Amino acid sequence: MRRALLEALRADLAGRRTAVLATHLGTGEAQLLHPFDGDGEGAAPALCDAARAAARDDQSRVWSSPEGTVFLRVYNPPVHVVLVGAVHVAQALAPMIGLVGYDVLVVDPRSAFATEARFPGVSLSTEWPDEALARVGLGRRSAVVTMTHDPKIDDPALEAALRSESFYIGALGSKKTQAARRDRLAARGFDETALARLHGPVGLSIGAVSTAEIAVSILSELVACLRKGSSGR
Amino acid sequence: MSVEDLYHEALVRLAREATGAGALPAPVGRAAPATVQGTATVENPLCGDRVTVEVRVEGGRITALAHRVRGCVLCEASASLLGRAAVGLGTAEVEASRRAFAALLRDGTPPPPRPLAGLDVFAPVRSVASRHSCVLLPFDALGAALARASPPGTTR
Repeated sequence: MRRALLEALRADLAGRRTAVLATHLGTGEAQLLHPFDGDGEGAAPALCDAARAAARDDQSRVWSSPEGTVFLRVYNPPVHVVLVGAVHVAQALAPMIGLVGYDVLVVDPRSAFATEARFPGVSLSTEWPDEALARVGLGRRSAVVTMTHDPKIDDPALEAALRSESFYIGALGSKKTQAARRDRLAARGFDETALARLHGPVGLSIGAVSTAEIAVSILSELVACLRKGSSGR
Repeated sequence: MSVEDLYHEALVRLAREATGAGALPAPVGRAAPATVQGTATVENPLCGDRVTVEVRVEGGRITALAHRVRGCVLCEASASLLGRAAVGLGTAEVEASRRAFAALLRDGTPPPPRPLAGLDVFAPVRSVASRHSCVLLPFDALGAALARASPPGTTR
């Protein structure tokens, strides 16, 4: 790889921007594509489409066309999960997310809960969630799960998440509180299509009982949405 | 007591009015010689409520006050009351008002109309001990801002 190309790729990774390195196997010529925010970058439209599909699938692959064979190496930014609410389920879920290899941030303006003692080694913020989410930025590789059961804290986070491209948005709470939540969000201007992105009650139905089991159910649904598409089903 | 009793109409209206919400405008021209100003942010670590109060004082009296609240309706209403009624008070009167407020919450002592009128709107909060700090928080922020007040342009 040429130095200029390597430096461009490093900048993309640092800026959490998806890039696909397209190497023509016949000539060895390499080109960096940005399938979600590039302007085509001089590449054939079919190659751009193939790069976008590979990035969506998060899967590098060989792609052939009459012009030749290209290896598409996908560089997606790491999955970033924001947990709103430094609650018991978050204490179990945050380390699990780390084990799976995703970045995690726990946000809770209640500074009595968002403490290093309760979340050793976990990134914490005591900002209000909408402020924290605006600072970290939400994109296609982001997930947001609200867990405080306090609308004053959960709702601003869900509004920010629904306005973003986040691949997974979940809200802890019973069926009854979910109905009230949907009514509040609808009153704030979110239509059925937007609200369909909200997973609530959150998590796959695996009969979870304990705090850690609920965390497993949430993480399972999150992985399903990442790997199988928006519904996760 | 029901939720409707706690969030009664006058209290919700007070919160919605949000009198004094925002930031103090920069002083026009040269500040009067005795002018001091201060800013303080206080928070409730158990519910996340966060209040910032900015205050300007001339000759020992509040001449301008602005507040920014991230919190519940009760907290917003309390800050709005300060925005409406705190201009003109001195530090001792702010302290007396907070004492009157605390007495209302503690045992229902009717708050006197002076130096700060309107505290009685919070009478229903008395029976919900966990929410007392919500309504006192803006008063604590104002007290802290006054304690920090110093001539403009100086930093503390």
